[in-house]
Amino acid sequence: MNGRTLLYSLVVLLAASGTACQHEPSTSDFYGDYMVYTDHDTEVDFAAFTTYYVPDSILLIGNRRKAEYWKDDRAARIISTVTNRLDAAGYQRTTDKATATFGMQLSYVERVAYYVGYDYPYWWWYYPYYWAPEYWGPWDGWHYPYYVQYGYTAGSLLIEMVDLSAEPLENVPLPIVWDSYIGGLLTSSEQVNLDRAVTAVEQAFIQSPYLGRTVTGRNAAR
Amino acid sequence: MDKIAFLMKNIRSMKIKKYIGLATLCIASLCIGQRASAQFLPNSYFNVDWQMNVPLGKSFADKASGWGMNFEGGYYVSPAIALGAFISYQTNLENIPRQTLTLSNGSALTTKQKHAVFQLPFGVTGRYSWLRHSVFQPYAGLKLGAQYAELSSYYYIVKHYTDTWGFFLSPEVGVSIFPRPDYRLGFHVALYYSYATNNGRVLSYSIDNLNNFGIRVGVSF
Repeated sequence: MNGRTLLYSLVVLLAASGTACQHEPSTSDFYGDYMVYTDHDTEVDFAAFTTYYVPDSILLIGNRRKAEYWKDDRAARIISTVTNRLDAAGYQRTTDKATATFGMQLSYVERVAYYVGYDYPYWWWYYPYYWAPEYWGPWDGWHYPYYVQYGYTAGSLLIEMVDLSAEPLENVPLPIVWDSYIGGLLTSSEQVNLDRAVTAVEQAFIQSPYLGRTVTGRNAAR
Repeated sequence: MDKIAFLMKNIRSMKIKKYIGLATLCIASLCIGQRASAQFLPNSYFNVDWQMNVPLGKSFADKASGWGMNFEGGYYVSPAIALGAFISYQTNLENIPRQTLTLSNGSALTTKQKHAVFQLPFGVTGRYSWLRHSVFQPYAGLKLGAQYAELSSYYYIVKHYTDTWGFFLSPEVGVSIFPRPDYRLGFHVALYYSYATNNGRVLSYSIDNLNNFGIRVGVSF
């Protein structure tokens, strides 16, 4: 091997090494896990809420423009997990939406492959479309009092708490004061997805100890 | 979630490849600028090493890893002292079981994670060698320079990361082994310690300084 051959070999070796220098870990085992993210408006006193209203169905977010609702035994189990947690936290469920101090809206991302930004699909222009402000009262749009950033995939469950304690007014947006994003609910088994959703909903409340009427109520919610 | 980098890792990798590519060109140009000979480049040396790196102390990713290489070259300004340049890279990983992290501004996250620390130091190197014309040529050296480090947390479909820069210092001892000293193509083994001042924050983790030790094995010419 003469010097020139060695030199060229070195350059090739360096270049080849440079194309693969940063090693990314395998994330395939994340498929068997779920993720729970929660956030809230730190200015809100959650102990001041008393009654809440929860619709009896879950919004399905897919690729269709028309709103679809998930309303069966599985959806009921997820909703009941939410209501059980809220009841344990000292809040009282009401069937009269007009008198509720806050509302809970649940959405399941069924088919959207990936999303960043409010551009596509059509749904997201108006998300939460089904939970339109008019559903809760004459509000003018939505408002997150804290910083949020969306990025959803299929198999995600979204839970949002809307503050209904203020008098609804036109030109005043409806504030979402707490939200939970649960990912990883898209295995091939519906039962696994359901069990995982229930566990994850429980976790969403466990990691939100500020939700509760009283200290006792908050502890009970844990 | 602030600074979430959905599917950005490919873009980041492209940038790192660009850095490495530039360094490759620099080293290659140094080589090409000199006349090749039977002793390759007189009064110079080159090392290309695979390295096994072990993070020390409270590390963001504490598992030992062989995902790294080191490239360096130098010129003997005296019979025993050489000065040159180096660049290396290293990735260390760690699996984090599911846990709940309290993030800033009232948010919380429960998930499994994989942490990764990618280090890319480069700069100048110096070494003092003994027995330069024998089969075994031991040396002691010191590397000084800058270090780019990317601290990443992978979870769900998300890569959450921060880029950091710091000062880099690394003492090293090693030996070059030339079965035929006149031919100048041999092997290289070295032990090193490295310290870098990189610091940053990822999710609820705060990282202050990066310490490592490791071994390099490669070729020398």
